[in-house]
Amino acid sequence: MAFGKFLLKRSLQGVLVVWGVVTVLFGLRAVTPGDPVNLIVDPAVDHETRERIRQELGLDQPIYVQYFEYLQDLLVGDLGYSYQSSRPVTTMVIERVPATLELAIAATIVAIVIAIPLGVISGTRRNEPADYGATSFSLVGISTPNFWLGIMLILLLAVQLDVFPTGRRPVAFHDALWMFLTTFYVGDLLTWLHHIILPAVTLGTYFTALITRLTRSGMLDEYGKPYVTATEAKGIPETLVRYKHVLRNTMIPIITVLGLQLGTLIGGAVVTETVFSWPGLGLRLIAAIHNLDWPLIQGIIIFVGISYVIINIGVDAIYAKLNPRVLDE
Amino acid sequence: MISDRIKSNLRQEFRSSLLPKVGLVILIAIVFMALFAPVLATHNPNTTGHFDDGNAYPPIGVSYDSYEVVDGERETYPVEFSSDHYLGTNNVGQDVFSRLLYGARTSLLVGVLGTGLAVLMGVPFGLVSGYYGGRIDDAMMRVADVMLAFPSLVLALALIGVFGSMSIPVPDPIVAAGFAEGMPSATTLPGTVTLVVGLVTWVWFARVARGEAMAIRNEEYVKAARSLGASNATILLKHVLPNSLTPVIVLATIQVAAIILLESSLSYLGFSGTTLSWGYEIQQGQDYLRTAWWVSTVPGIGIVLSVVSINLLGDWLRDSLDPNIEGEGGGA
Repeated sequence: MAFGKFLLKRSLQGVLVVWGVVTVLFGLRAVTPGDPVNLIVDPAVDHETRERIRQELGLDQPIYVQYFEYLQDLLVGDLGYSYQSSRPVTTMVIERVPATLELAIAATIVAIVIAIPLGVISGTRRNEPADYGATSFSLVGISTPNFWLGIMLILLLAVQLDVFPTGRRPVAFHDALWMFLTTFYVGDLLTWLHHIILPAVTLGTYFTALITRLTRSGMLDEYGKPYVTATEAKGIPETLVRYKHVLRNTMIPIITVLGLQLGTLIGGAVVTETVFSWPGLGLRLIAAIHNLDWPLIQGIIIFVGISYVIINIGVDAIYAKLNPRVLDE
Repeated sequence: MISDRIKSNLRQEFRSSLLPKVGLVILIAIVFMALFAPVLATHNPNTTGHFDDGNAYPPIGVSYDSYEVVDGERETYPVEFSSDHYLGTNNVGQDVFSRLLYGARTSLLVGVLGTGLAVLMGVPFGLVSGYYGGRIDDAMMRVADVMLAFPSLVLALALIGVFGSMSIPVPDPIVAAGFAEGMPSATTLPGTVTLVVGLVTWVWFARVARGEAMAIRNEEYVKAARSLGASNATILLKHVLPNSLTPVIVLATIQVAAIILLESSLSYLGFSGTTLSWGYEIQQGQDYLRTAWWVSTVPGIGIVLSVVSINLLGDWLRDSLDPNIEGEGGGA
């Protein structure tokens, strides 16, 4: 199968998955007990007003009509209006994306920068103290709830030692960057960095631990293979073998697992944002669920689902490029 | 089924490594704490402390040298863990040690029941999908793909929105038998949370069971059974199911740990259904970090120890039985 055809097939599957996500969420909203009109106005309001609001929201229509209208609106990027604030959901989602994206990317960077060297050391010095240290770290890392880790970091580094702030995001990265590019003022960038370190470490620790584990076991698997012995026998320096050949082959399964674990990253972001009052999508989702603000809940989760699908198609594409055999399956 | 070879593998791996032993000892201790919480607890975990004027006691614990309460009056001098409260009290004067014990109950109950639910839903789904293959498999796997596109914590939150908070009081036999006076007569099972964690994790079992069913479908003995006229249902129940048990057991072990983490996250976010939960306790303590660090710290240690011990046993099972499985982690 050609690469283009493979990509097309995966994209069509992706559209199907997104449609499924939209449908499931619509179903969940439909079966949620309670009258949404009560969330918009005082429950004691008179019957006429209620009916008027019901009409405005389209709630007087049969459910399948509501469903198709929702799909139609979604195709042009209209996710309806929040019950709570009456603002357009699309705006409410998009304005929160940068904060969550900053956090997720920062956490991924933390994870990769720490985990790959740690995993390589662990895998190449099997059963030495460094290996035991890295293995213990990764075991505890995957077993620690990230909200508790965040609170412990706050307790130690913000409350006791006062080196980091306890939370919040005083400045957005793109604003800070713009400020730097236009006026060469680095203060905002540094403030941003100062505030994102603890949340990034909190969210990134689980992935650091996971990638360390995967790198270690991947390296051990690869070392057992004949090509390593062959390259070493040819006199190629060990460091070169280790980083160029073994590590590269180890990366293939790691990328796949990371794609699958994207859900964990997003779930972790919801919790981390709560711990640090980081104004991203997660914090907004929690508020929306407390208020049963279904248009907003739907909007955020559909956005998350679409991102998940797109990133996984990207991961599959990278995988297919690195390992063309999958195209034949 | 569990063959002799598998048994000897398990035994050998257990003997040759320290880690599964450590995991087993910690887990047994935690299960013991959870089972006998009413006997081991020093205080009723729900009893709050109040001054005569109705205000709650401030948190009591080590290094906190402000108050002690004598006959309902505030007196200012250092109070240590060792006094009446081994691990101090929380922001409303409840005993942290007793709440730690009861929190273990909630975590383990939700972990085991939630995993059980996920197995009951996911394994039949996966077996049918993998055994029949073809279009049935395609359709069922698209359903699984949709499930996977929801991060489990996010889907759990949405489902909680649908079901609302539902708690089921489970009578405590130890208290009913009169062995622990003054303890709560029932343990609250967070019903919605248990249901929801099962509903968001079943798909991992479906994937594993499907893989096994696909592999077993073409084995000679299955073909033989089919040619002897055995129905598909019989083959699924008698041959495919027993042979897929090993990886399901390994995954189930790891998933108990993941679900404990998921439950603690949901409780932390305020969707618990019971206040006797480690995650809830950590959330309560977050506002008191400056004065009472132990309120958030202690229950977190409980979570980490439980999850580490179960993961150690999961690693042991996986190394001994070596199925190729993947599951979603519980980092959230």
